[in-house]
Order: sequence, then structure tokens, then C-alpha cells
Amino acid sequence: MVPTLLIAAIVGLALGVFLQKGRFCFVNAFRDFFAYKDSRVTKGVLAATLLTMVFWGIAYQFGYYQGFWTPEWGLTGLVGGFIFGVGMTYAGGCASGTLYRAGEGYLQFWLTLLFMGVGYAAFTVAFPTLESAYFEPLTFGDGVSLFAVTSIPASLLALAIAGGGVLVYATLLGRSATTATPEERSNAASVQLTVLLAPIAGLRQFARGTIEYVRGLARAWRDPLAASKRPWDPRTAALGITGAAVLWFTQVSIVGVTGPEARWTGYLLSQAGVEAESYEYWGSVLFQGQGVDVTTDMVMIGFVIVGAFLAAFWSGDFSVRVPKRRRLPNAVGGGLLMGAGSRLAPGCNIGNIYSGIAELSVHSFIAAVGIVAGVYVMTHWIYREVGCAI
Amino acid sequence: MPSIDDVTNAPDELSDDEADDLLEEADLVQDMMGEMCPYPQVEAKKGLKKLESGDLLVQETDHVPCTENVPQAVGDDADARVWRSGDATYRIYLRKR
Repeated sequence: MVPTLLIAAIVGLALGVFLQKGRFCFVNAFRDFFAYKDSRVTKGVLAATLLTMVFWGIAYQFGYYQGFWTPEWGLTGLVGGFIFGVGMTYAGGCASGTLYRAGEGYLQFWLTLLFMGVGYAAFTVAFPTLESAYFEPLTFGDGVSLFAVTSIPASLLALAIAGGGVLVYATLLGRSATTATPEERSNAASVQLTVLLAPIAGLRQFARGTIEYVRGLARAWRDPLAASKRPWDPRTAALGITGAAVLWFTQVSIVGVTGPEARWTGYLLSQAGVEAESYEYWGSVLFQGQGVDVTTDMVMIGFVIVGAFLAAFWSGDFSVRVPKRRRLPNAVGGGLLMGAGSRLAPGCNIGNIYSGIAELSVHSFIAAVGIVAGVYVMTHWIYREVGCAI
Repeated sequence: MPSIDDVTNAPDELSDDEADDLLEEADLVQDMMGEMCPYPQVEAKKGLKKLESGDLLVQETDHVPCTENVPQAVGDDADARVWRSGDATYRIYLRKR
């Protein structure tokens, strides 16, 4: 048990540090893309997901893994994901963002965490009813990872998907580069040519960007102490998060946040005298009949807060931040929607967008669509007075 | 044109003296302490609408991501510079174009 706890501490600390230093925020990634087409963090999220997919695929193929998380798929992912997406946009932080910002000293996100706990508890109480009224009619099939059902070796499948993703990105990049100079498109033939050349132009730009990034990284290494206090590129965060996730996948499980949080809620309530185990959702679903106790993943997400605190303190970004009173509804409402939504889906942005897509879980593709749709709708509402780009 | 090169384009930083001098000539100062994204972005856009070209809008914030997100959100509407206190408070200076 001690080595597993040590791994939980290392992975948690690493995730906390990289999330904090890279400002790795899923709300930012999608909201700011919809609001004003800012895709800096979106690229970091995509890079982390695709890289993790490749390494998990390799680990899975060679048997170095502990198991997938593949809930049954259906419309639950879409409905719950949508509620979660609305909640995280309103709260101003996703499941992982709430954790690392709690570590940075934001009292608002401690309040968000508290109300996510209320959401988990409310869901648990309603679970028997929800099972027959919500989960049964909306669930269509058994949960499955595409890694497990195809005859294609997992590492090749992951590489193909990641390669496809990069190619699509390069095409979009190349296209935006060519459409930026309309005067060059003098006739139909050259238009066709630029469309064909778009992936190549994009790939070259992508390669240039990557080389530039690696040079920047090398420059940063010349003065590591100063660099460690500066904000980091989201791509650096993506690399670090991938490393931590690979260690976790080979030793424990996929990375999740709201599952362990829902377990924390049950555990803390049981310490306060509530018979948590007698509730079906805590007793037999979350703790799988093993008794309400501290599990490895609960320790890991606790260390995410510690890691974020250490990184923020080191960088001069730590301070106890008191929210304005008019933002309390965001923490309360957003937290409740995130807590309940992550159970209704099930899964949060980490379980479904990051880990779920990296493990090619069918359920997570649906839930990811739901979450992103929720962010889209909520972003338009928050930006209603100044307008969104998309 | 979006490019992967522009992943980190934090605005230029101001020295302590520059930051104090500029604060005195600000045409609009917004107190964004304790505020989360995206509200400072929305307020910056609203604030800039009220100002004339060449006017200066200053936001005081303790939310680190705002130092990158607010300048990105206002885009070509303003030239942005940032001051970091080193103690988890920041000021964002937006000069309307």
C-alpha cells in the first residue's frame, strides 16, 4: 500500500504543479475559443489528450495498465455533460481548475468544491429514483473502449488517431494561412492548389512552431530558477500532465477528479456520523462494497491541491483571494451543477474529455460533446452584452 | 492568422515606476479583485466601448489568468501591458486604439 500511496502523492503533486504553471483550464480552452477564437489553451488540452492517448495505447498494448473506466453509453453523457459544461462555465473553473485554484488560495473555489459536494450528496440521495427514471431509459449499450474492441494494435490505433488529429489541425492552419491573402488567389486553379497544399503548408507551420517551442524550452533551461517562476506554455503543462497520467495509468487507473471527489463527500459525511455506506450509490457503486474509506485516487486528488499550492507559492501567485459578494451565486450554482452533472453524465472534463478520449471510451465521446455544448451555450449567455466570435 | 507560435504571447511587462505613473493618467480604473474569468474580459470590452481612442483603461486583478486572457479578449481594440506586483496582484493596462 505504501508504494501506491507514494505514486498517488507524486502524480497528484505533478498534476497540481503543471496545471497551475500552465494555467491549464478546460473552461478557458473552450470558452475563450467560442468568445474570441483564442485557441492557446485549446491547443494545450488537445496536445495533452492526444499525447496521453498515444502513450496509453502503447502501455495497453504491452499490458502495462490497470484498467479502463468505461461507463455504459447513451444520452446520459449528453445530458449530464451539458449540465456539467454549463456549471463549469458559470463557476469559472472546471473540475481540475477548481482543484488547482483552491490550492492557489481562491476562497471562491473552496466554496465551489463545497457545493460540488452538496451536488454529489443530493445525487446520491436521488440515485434509486434516477436509476429507473433517468439512467435506464437513456442508456443504450455497454461501455467500451475502442482499444479493446478493434483488432488493430492499440499503439497503432492511437498513433493513427493522433496523426489524423494533427493533420486536420495542420489543414486548418494551412487554410487560414492561404485565405489570409486573397489577392494571391487569382484563378480557380490556384484556389484548388492552395486547398491541396493546405495540409503541407500547415504541417510546415506546425513544425516551425514546434521547433520554436523547443528552442524556447532550451532557452528557459539556461536559467531554470527564473523560468520556474514564470508562467509556463500550456504545451509544457501538456507534456508534464501526460507524464503523470502515464505513471498513473500503468500503476493505478485512468485520471479522474469528480469520482474521487464524490468518494471524499461520502467519506467526510461518514466521519460526521452519516451512514454513507447504506446509500446504494456510495456503498455499492463508488466504494464497490469495499467500505467507505480513503482510496488511492482520493489521496491523489488531494495532492493536486498541495502541488498547486507549492507551485503558486513559489511563483508569487499564491494569496488568499476573497470573492466579491456578487460572485457567490457562481460558486454555489456552478458547484451544484458540476456536482450533479458529473454524476448524471457520469464523469467531468478530466474523466471524459482528457482521460475518456485518451482511452477511446465510447461514453466519453458523447459526454465530451455534451460538455462542450454546455460551455458554448453558457459562454453566449455570459457574453450576451459584448458578443461572441463563434 | 492563428498559429501555434502564438501560444505564449503574454503582453509586455511594466516596471513599478511606469505602472504607478500610468495609473495616475488612467481614464477608467476597474476593480476586478476577487473576480473570475470571464467577467474581467466582459468588463474590459464594455469599458473600452465607453472610452475614446488613446484613452487608458486599467484593471486591477488578483486572478493570474486574466493577465493573458483579458489582452487576448480585447484583441485589436487596445494595446495591452501588464504589471506584476510579485505578490499575486496584477494590473492590466489597455490603451484604446
